[in-house]
Amino acid sequence: MSDTVKDDVRVAAPAPAAPAAETARRPRRRLDGDGERGLLSGYDRGRTGTRWGLRAAQGLVLVLLVVASLGPILWLARASVSTTQDTLRTPMAFWPSGIDWANLSTAWNEAQISHYFANTMWVALGSWFVQLLVATTGGYVLAVLRPRYAPVVTAAVLATLFIPGVVVLVPLFLTVLDLPVVNASLLNTYWAVWLPAGANAFNVLLVKRFMDGLPRDVYEAARMDGAGPLRMLWSVVLPMSRPILGVVSIFAFLNAWKDFLWPQIVLPEPTLQPLSVRLPLIRDTVELDVFLAALLISMALPIVIFLVFQRLFLRGAGLGGAVKG
Amino acid sequence: MSATIRWVRGGGLSTLLLLLPLLLVFGYFAWFPIGRAVVMSFQETNLVADPAWVGLDNFRQVLDDPLFWTSVRNTFFFTGLALLFGYPVPLVLAVVMSELRRGKGLYSGLAYLPVVVPPVVAVLLWRFFYDASQTGVFNTIFGWVGLGPFAWIQDASSAMPSLVLQATWANAGATVLIYLAALTAVRGDLYDAAEVDGAGLWRKIGHVTLPQLRGVLLITLILQVIATFQVFTEPYLMTNGGPQNATVTVLLQIYNYAFRFGDYGAATALSVLLALFLAVMSAVYFRLTRSWSTT
Amino acid sequence: MSSTRRHLGAVAAAVMAVSLVAACGSDDEPAADGGSPGGDGGDEQVTISVSNLPPATESATREAFLARVEEFEAANPNITVEPSEYEWDVTTFAAQLAGGTLPTTFEFPFTDGQAMIERGQLVDITAEVQALPYADSFNPSVLEVAQDDSGSIFAVPTTAYGMGLHYNRAMFEQAGLDPDTPPASWAEVREYADAIAEATGQAGFAQMSQNNTGGWILTTLTYALGGRMEDGSGDDVTATLDNDGTKAALELLRQLRWEDDAMGDNFLFDWGTINQAFAAGQVGMYIGGSDVYNSLVTENGIDPDSYGLTVLPLEGGDAGVLGGGTIVGVRPDASEAERDAAVKWIDFFYMSKLTQQDAALADAEALVATDAPLGTPALPIFGAEQLAESDAWVADLVNVPLEQMMPFKESILDQPLVPEPPVRAQDLYAELDAVVQAVLTDENADIEALLETANGNVSSLVEAG
Repeated sequence: MSDTVKDDVRVAAPAPAAPAAETARRPRRRLDGDGERGLLSGYDRGRTGTRWGLRAAQGLVLVLLVVASLGPILWLARASVSTTQDTLRTPMAFWPSGIDWANLSTAWNEAQISHYFANTMWVALGSWFVQLLVATTGGYVLAVLRPRYAPVVTAAVLATLFIPGVVVLVPLFLTVLDLPVVNASLLNTYWAVWLPAGANAFNVLLVKRFMDGLPRDVYEAARMDGAGPLRMLWSVVLPMSRPILGVVSIFAFLNAWKDFLWPQIVLPEPTLQPLSVRLPLIRDTVELDVFLAALLISMALPIVIFLVFQRLFLRGAGLGGAVKG
Repeated sequence: MSATIRWVRGGGLSTLLLLLPLLLVFGYFAWFPIGRAVVMSFQETNLVADPAWVGLDNFRQVLDDPLFWTSVRNTFFFTGLALLFGYPVPLVLAVVMSELRRGKGLYSGLAYLPVVVPPVVAVLLWRFFYDASQTGVFNTIFGWVGLGPFAWIQDASSAMPSLVLQATWANAGATVLIYLAALTAVRGDLYDAAEVDGAGLWRKIGHVTLPQLRGVLLITLILQVIATFQVFTEPYLMTNGGPQNATVTVLLQIYNYAFRFGDYGAATALSVLLALFLAVMSAVYFRLTRSWSTT
Repeated sequence: MSSTRRHLGAVAAAVMAVSLVAACGSDDEPAADGGSPGGDGGDEQVTISVSNLPPATESATREAFLARVEEFEAANPNITVEPSEYEWDVTTFAAQLAGGTLPTTFEFPFTDGQAMIERGQLVDITAEVQALPYADSFNPSVLEVAQDDSGSIFAVPTTAYGMGLHYNRAMFEQAGLDPDTPPASWAEVREYADAIAEATGQAGFAQMSQNNTGGWILTTLTYALGGRMEDGSGDDVTATLDNDGTKAALELLRQLRWEDDAMGDNFLFDWGTINQAFAAGQVGMYIGGSDVYNSLVTENGIDPDSYGLTVLPLEGGDAGVLGGGTIVGVRPDASEAERDAAVKWIDFFYMSKLTQQDAALADAEALVATDAPLGTPALPIFGAEQLAESDAWVADLVNVPLEQMMPFKESILDQPLVPEPPVRAQDLYAELDAVVQAVLTDENADIEALLETANGNVSSLVEAG
């Protein structure tokens, strides 16, 4: 759970970028010229010394980023198709005894990574759905419908922001073991991961603040046309909220993929566990080369998602700023 | 009663229905457990028998545990190191990157890449990198320039810095993006004005850039403190608190109480103590975002 | 609940079921749970779930398991058995118990027995176990791990092992050592470790240090050097972590690590990772339970030819070998009928292969058919003679390199078996993890001071009860 919370902090982190909002909406290309400029002026950039200094700094940063960010991932990619002995004896050499493609299929099939991959997918999709459902319906009611008790609910949701996930780790766990009123145990079911994921105040507040900022006359117009609350949500508010829903979705999915502590606690049954929980355990039982291949497979999907939706990720910062409270 | 009904009706029944997912999920998995945490910290339970009230025993036990201060010290150490590594580096990166005219996407993409790697994968991979033998990955690389071999996580004094290094690798990208966003908001006319006053590059950074970023810097500071105080995956998977308890953090201690020794009372008591501390930090954070975003 | 019926129930596995159920009804004394007349608690339908069903990846052993379940159900028509893949794990146990997902019977290690009994996490099955025909023949020091202070029985020990020294024969040869004459004293262990490290560049000797295993193995070493971690019995136990045996053990580790540099570069091992490293040829010798070979084969794919096992050298007046093993218990909220059925299952599935030739053979054949290891040296649950007898039943089927384990098998029964520390063993182990790690990672670690602190910490826990 705490992992979730930690990630939430990261997700929400863009929020403080509020002042960026005003400018971020304007085209960003115009770094120079009329008022939109950075640290260096056009004059600075014209000076040879500064220009080369800047280029050198930027080149250095690029090299640093490639080595630090890409390096470990490329190393893993290389190691996952190397033999165990190569990886142990000459970790930085390139395939002294040839490429061992079989690792990947051994990991996928025999080490059953395919099975845990599917579990992870299931965990992530369910968490995504619950988070989106709670955040959109909740945000909609609190921001658009605004019943009289809305401030109370908003405050109660807000209050959970102040309580770190750690404090509820054990009681939440006991709650999952024996749900009050319904007296059911969610242990060893995916509901135990999905439902608590929905209790994410950051999501609700992000969506609420975004919807707060939507022009209210649109709602009035829709109401005039006789749209009920549900119709209005579905055909007016949701389409307009697509940007924020994209951000919430992508972080909800990825955070669920990354989550470790909570699924480890509530899914003790090995056949149900996602990759994060399973990887530390299979380390002891498969050969190193297969294990490294398993690591590579486990990080592949998040990276692909990131590459595909890179713009959404990076724009997250600006969007986060746009929903200031 | 009817007043209540009218009050609820005030929003309409369909409104309430729409709010139901939020109320149920938060009720069951946020509000109720928070209340229960406070109650549980005064109880002893083994999950089999009915819980018994034990007053402040759990708190006393937690505070008397010789590992309590070790874990607090370690957590502060982790946080301090994380700030030392993870605070200035992203700032420098962001300042350089914000001056890019082309390829900003590439730079930020690269910077952010480690953030999307699942923490468990990253930690297990780095644990292998930290192999202390001559042929360990990092030791091989350092060997090229005649350094090492280093003990990394196999030594009490270097274990925590090694953990922090990994955590910084995993998280710095997110901070870079925050700074980048904030930098685009620094008003150009301030630079113009500084230039009119004849300020050079460093003066501009010192007198315009940093003061303008003050709010964001403070907020990321607090966010980092809050996040690092809940650090778990790294010490749990990399060293499991060792060597010599050098990497036992507060959250690891909570986990061990609950899930290694079955002492749920002590675990919640320590959670409540940690929560009190973090709640203060969060309150500060919230005040800052508020006051800062209205300026 | 007569012993006869339950005993026959077990035999039924090999014979025909239906007739037996009819036959035993007449032998039975009235049931205590108000079951049908004639005591055949058998008429009451009861469902139990049982643990350790092999996962689908091990299809052959899984089928063998399921076949046993069917046999059992045929012999006990009133009992339905739901097999589960559950494997006991200390971190999830209490949760599974509270969450209701714990099977009715489950296996767990000796080490955790006492703590679970104290916490009320097992049900008292004294009456059911006493009714077994072999109830009186349990080796008392083994049965002890499943009993509370008053002698009530909470679980049934099913396998026992002694700690031994595992070594890599190939690495011995590389270092010019004779793999058939393993070290017989701790001085020789040092000598051999040094030679192996020198010749192979790997760890000549390695030691677990994490997740309580550091304390566990240090306790083993302490016993082998004549020390004890706790003194006294009952309410009068005091912690004695700073005894001379432990000091000598840590001094030995210190020498291996710092004077000889014979322990490699990585020291954060636990049970799983050290097995992995040993199977991968990164460790020359290490201390572990004598049954580890089973897991080295099934999980780590060790090369059988390179495996060797010998007894730990015992030095000093009161030296002994630490024992361990598996016990099977029943969840604390089991009803009387469930308890009865659970003990029947334990008798049928676990005990019959120790006590009856037919069952032993059937079990061994199933294991061998799936290439699962059979014949790893064990310690007697009942008595040495009985163990020799049951070993002889299946001798022809043994598929482990027994020759290479003979140094252990020949001497282990002569070594005095010492149980684990009786009070707060896991907390004691956890405390000692840090001590072991200190000695292995800090050249200037002050052994005396470390032990004094650890002893103080454990003492306050032991006094608290």
